[in-house]
Amino acid sequence: MSEQHPTARRRDPRAERAARTVRVEPRRRLVLSVDVVPQTGGRPRRDPRARRAEAIVQSVPRLRLDWTGKAVGASALPTVEGRGPRAASEPVLRVIDDPACLLFAVLDRPDGALSGHDRQVLAAARLLADAAGGAVVAVVPDGGEDLGALGADRVLPLPAAWADEYAPERRAAAVAAAIARWSPRHILFAESQDGGDLARRVAVACGERLFAGVESLSSARAARRAGGGATELGCAPPRLLSIAADAVAPLGAVRHEARRLDPPPEPDGVPALQGARRLPVDPDGVGLGEADFIVSAGNGVTDWDAFAALGRALGATRAGSRVVCDAGHLPRDRQVGASGTVVSARCYLAFGIAGAPQHLQGIGGVERVIAVNTDLHAAMIKRADLAIIADAQAVMPALVRLARERGHG
Amino acid sequence: MVDVAILLSVGRHPVSGRARRAPTDARALEMALGLPAVRRTALHAGDPASPALRDYLGMGLDRLTVLAMAHGCDPVEPLAAHLRSLSPGIVLTGNRAEGGEDSGMLPYRVAHTLGVAIVPDVVAITVEAGGGAAEVVQALARGQRRALRVALPFVATIHPAAPSARPSAFGPARRGRIDSVPVEAPPDAFLAACAARPWRDRPKRLTVGAPGSGGALDRLRAATEAKAGQGRLLVGPSPDEAALAIYECLQEQGVLPR
Ligand SMILES: Cc1cc2nc3c(=O)[nH]c(=O)nc-3n(C[C@H](O)[C@H](O)[C@H](O)COP(=O)(O)OP(=O)(O)OC[C@H]3O[C@@H](n4cnc5c(N)ncnc54)[C@H](O)[C@@H]3O)c2cc1C
Repeated sequence: MSEQHPTARRRDPRAERAARTVRVEPRRRLVLSVDVVPQTGGRPRRDPRARRAEAIVQSVPRLRLDWTGKAVGASALPTVEGRGPRAASEPVLRVIDDPACLLFAVLDRPDGALSGHDRQVLAAARLLADAAGGAVVAVVPDGGEDLGALGADRVLPLPAAWADEYAPERRAAAVAAAIARWSPRHILFAESQDGGDLARRVAVACGERLFAGVESLSSARAARRAGGGATELGCAPPRLLSIAADAVAPLGAVRHEARRLDPPPEPDGVPALQGARRLPVDPDGVGLGEADFIVSAGNGVTDWDAFAALGRALGATRAGSRVVCDAGHLPRDRQVGASGTVVSARCYLAFGIAGAPQHLQGIGGVERVIAVNTDLHAAMIKRADLAIIADAQAVMPALVRLARERGHG
Repeated sequence: MVDVAILLSVGRHPVSGRARRAPTDARALEMALGLPAVRRTALHAGDPASPALRDYLGMGLDRLTVLAMAHGCDPVEPLAAHLRSLSPGIVLTGNRAEGGEDSGMLPYRVAHTLGVAIVPDVVAITVEAGGGAAEVVQALARGQRRALRVALPFVATIHPAAPSARPSAFGPARRGRIDSVPVEAPPDAFLAACAARPWRDRPKRLTVGAPGSGGALDRLRAATEAKAGQGRLLVGPSPDEAALAIYECLQEQGVLPR
């Protein structure tokens, strides 16, 4: 604190004067050399600026002060995840060399990328592993992701090709073989469509019960919904669990080593499910909330034939703003927005939509928005990732032509 | 021409709690009624007096075999034993029961015990001319469909997106016969060990922003402010330039094949 600082002492002029005094009678005489100045003093001087600087816990994005005196300055604080600038610093690598047990987190990797659900499964495995002093093994088709940053201590790679092709039987056989070899304490799956299927196949192959669709998880208790949604079944976390979506929060900044284990041997035997292929689906038959790619029309669209041709050429689901649905150009179930459908498409291509708040609410979850509008100051232009100031009636046919040239539709 | 067995369970209405047809099981029966079958055997394991069984008969079944067992017993062994004696080509079930453990494990365990393949989330089945294999369509997320070829015999679980079940008619429901076969079933020890209590909805987890990034301020911002795209802006391009920019953006996002 401020006592150590020489300039931060309160000067006591009377004491200084007394120390310098050589003689009082007949006349007071003082020594004027500097070194006689006494180092003793009364109350310590308070330095408000230094006090404040020490109380600062965080300055960006918002000033936070801690006057309790427990804060030792921002730099010396341990990193608390998610707190201002310190969150950006690299987390410390945690190495678990000699785990008490292993836990398998069997990940889906749908469409060749780790999903949010996969991260939640890793977080759930981390939770159980930390309670038991164990290590998390991510069992996942080989890919480029940094699984250490997601909380995996070990990685058990499965053949990369299994991420894209539909091979549930071989995947289940490989996971079952790995379970037999490493005998993990818990095996966690994602209760998604493919992950849930895999979990059940593995469960029957191991001859064990699956605690399916866990909705709440702690190291002492797992609970799931049963009885037609009316009852909650709870027990100590069993060996095989599948985690429901959004039941566990994904991990914040962590770093584990993600050491690779040797992959299990490829299972042999001919799979019974063969010749899997995707079927073409009618994009307009897909529910708007489910659609992946939406082309949407607003009041700025007048050429409805071109709009329909565009939907066909791009294979996109058609939708519109409320004005369009009110006018009867599109059915009501195709309305996007607060009083229509909230969409979760990956891509939203909007023609002539102003971007009213009620409409923007409906596209909050969209990954990428492309907007075509004649008005540079429309709210939709601000929201868009690619904004084009042009006439929708001219751009739509040009896009149809381009898509046909490139061999779509 | 195939021999089809349908496994039917008793559902529970989500609001009134009354026994009813389980929705996906009813769809499985609907699909069975549409298949060119030489024989359709409907099986239920449980209480033969349940009123919901009449609803299945009302869909056009003549008879329903009930393996009578007490509540809380494991139905897999008796069902598998009965199916082994029938040796059907296709076994249809719903993909998730309603009112029991609801784990969706039963079809998998039955298939494993019978030693046959299992196809989950089926919405359509076409049996090939020879009757040795079938073309099966599965429902995927986002309204997508996947086709597969499976050799008979197999177990298929029916997805809620399959064609909806016909309504149950009163006359056939009265006329249909319920054959009760008492069976021995082992008690389900795992389920008995679980603590059951009424379900209470939990608050929805707020998943805005990237995990672990930012504090309350960031979450508030993400929840209240309109999202701003980090946009490229093209002012007054020619239609062809605009079309090309959009096309490239769509390809980059992966919604159009390259
Ligand atoms: C309670 C309530 C609920 C609502 N719910 C919804 C909802 O769920 N969904 C919804 O969409 N709306 C909803 N609205 C309506 C909303 O406020 C807007 O009125 C509506 O979204 C506007 O639709 P728009 O952008 O298509 O039309 P406009 O506001 O008329 O905008 C048309 C846009 O097209 C542009 N344009 C014009 N000509 C061209 C051209 N040739 N080429 C390119 N661009 C052109 C214009 O510059 C303008 O930006 C709701 C309103 C209320 C009060």
